[in-house]
Amino acid sequence: MSDVNEALIRKLAELSRLELEDSEIAGYVKSIGDILGHVDQLRSVDTRGVEPMLYGIDEDLRLREDVVMDFGLDANGRPRILSSAPETIDGGFKVPPILG
Amino acid sequence: MIPETIREVHDAFDSGVLTPLFLTEAYLTRIAESRHNAYLTVCAESARARASDWTRRLQDEFGGKVPRSSHPLYGIPLGIKDVLVTEGIRTTCASRILENYLPPYTATAVAKLEAAGAITLGKLNLDEFAMGSSNENSAFGPVLHPTHPDRVPGGSSGGSGTAVAAGLCFAALGTDTGGSIRLPASFCGIVGLKPTYGRISRYGQIAFASSLDQIGPMTRTVEDAARIAEVMAGVDPMDSTTASVAVGDWSGAASAGCKNAPLRIGVPKEYFIDGIDAPVRAAIDSAIEGMKARGATVVPVSLPHTEHAVSTYYVIAVSEASSNLSRFDGVRFGVRPPEAIQAKSPAEYYKKVRANFGPEVKRRIILGTFALSSGYYDAYYQKAARVRRLMREDFEKAFETCDVIVSPVSPTTAFKLGEKSKNPLQMYLTDIFTIPASMAGLPAMSVPVGSDQNGLSIGIHLIAPRFQEEVLLSAAREFEKGART
Repeated sequence: MSDVNEALIRKLAELSRLELEDSEIAGYVKSIGDILGHVDQLRSVDTRGVEPMLYGIDEDLRLREDVVMDFGLDANGRPRILSSAPETIDGGFKVPPILG
Repeated sequence: MIPETIREVHDAFDSGVLTPLFLTEAYLTRIAESRHNAYLTVCAESARARASDWTRRLQDEFGGKVPRSSHPLYGIPLGIKDVLVTEGIRTTCASRILENYLPPYTATAVAKLEAAGAITLGKLNLDEFAMGSSNENSAFGPVLHPTHPDRVPGGSSGGSGTAVAAGLCFAALGTDTGGSIRLPASFCGIVGLKPTYGRISRYGQIAFASSLDQIGPMTRTVEDAARIAEVMAGVDPMDSTTASVAVGDWSGAASAGCKNAPLRIGVPKEYFIDGIDAPVRAAIDSAIEGMKARGATVVPVSLPHTEHAVSTYYVIAVSEASSNLSRFDGVRFGVRPPEAIQAKSPAEYYKKVRANFGPEVKRRIILGTFALSSGYYDAYYQKAARVRRLMREDFEKAFETCDVIVSPVSPTTAFKLGEKSKNPLQMYLTDIFTIPASMAGLPAMSVPVGSDQNGLSIGIHLIAPRFQEEVLLSAAREFEKGART
């Protein structure tokens, strides 16, 4: 198995877009190390020729028509889909500037 | 005194000794007085409005007689796990990242219950994003066990377990990914049903692990679990994984019990291992003996991959979670803290937003990212998915000789707050008996059959083949009868 160390946890946190405090890192090294140590028992299972089971159903997925669903307006007359947006602008979602 | 079953409530509505409004008010009073931290949001006003509407219409529209076939849940007050979205009612997943979220729509399962006459009392506490086995991972504080406040109610549907057992709602909805309905049902002494994967629409269920998640009822009786589940089951165009398998007469099966050939109870040798507390073992053995005395046959079966269940689950569930939880970016919903707005780059922005995830959620995202990352994907995710298929085949083979498989729900009764929270791996092992049915997508339930020397409930775990809810429920009814005599 891969060695779970501080560098690996920092790299995975970066890939996951998570910011970990220095004080959290050691705890994750330990707990994730323990969990992956346990998970390593899977290596002992003979899975040659076994198809991975990736889904909960066997049937093909049904498709529905690609139609716009209108959630209507909230009590303030704004589109309801925006009612929990952190920031809005001109009837759309506002995000912070990405470039300078 | 509140009647025990939906049937009795409806009889009481008919005779006029109880009204939907009176019943709802009774629960709202109890919720206000409760210290269990079971509710995150109470919808007192909307619940009262609906309850008084049902009370008025009972006379005006239905001639004083509950319309049982069109409204099987007429006037029944429910609590909803706060992982199911409800239009205009705050839905948090017990996470800081969603603490202000007002969904624009209602989950199909909840909408179906309300159309059948149910009244939503409020939203129930849980482990953050349904990740946990003790309800200690809620950002809004742990839920207390209904009768032993120094203990956990189980998780992740801990608010649902406590609310039903402590009389803070008539019944509740939970969700189950690896045991999150069945474990709290067992710890709290109530009935919990996880139907077959694909039975109940997940539209509006905030996803944890999409190939495993399933909604189900938590109730005081087997018959009520059936009644609520059959209302929710069926195809939903909004969830392409819902199965087009006909939903049978579940409540009929649950009330009749097993009337035909004697039940064949499969007992897997891998589930009766060292490490099960003696009182749990004794209660399960005695429940099985009781069934034997009433004509059931006991069949030894084998599920050889059981020892790998927790490993398999904690690769697959976290992998799906790390993908599902990438949607929490603070753009369309959720919390956007001031430091995120000041961020110098998109990466920094996302990190500041996602700092609102709690420690267990972060642990699982990191683990899932590991299992899906290049270089590890084959050895972890693909490997676990192959073992998952072997686990499913174990069940298919076992069900050639039995109708249901039984085990304890958990090796222990409700443990103390803080007892396992420092050791995630120990906590994960709590779910060893419930995970396999989840991995295989099978219907399973928890039925109370006894208690230990401290008065803590013990649940028996029943598993049936896919889409065999009628078999499951009629067997569960027999165990329930056995426990009550």
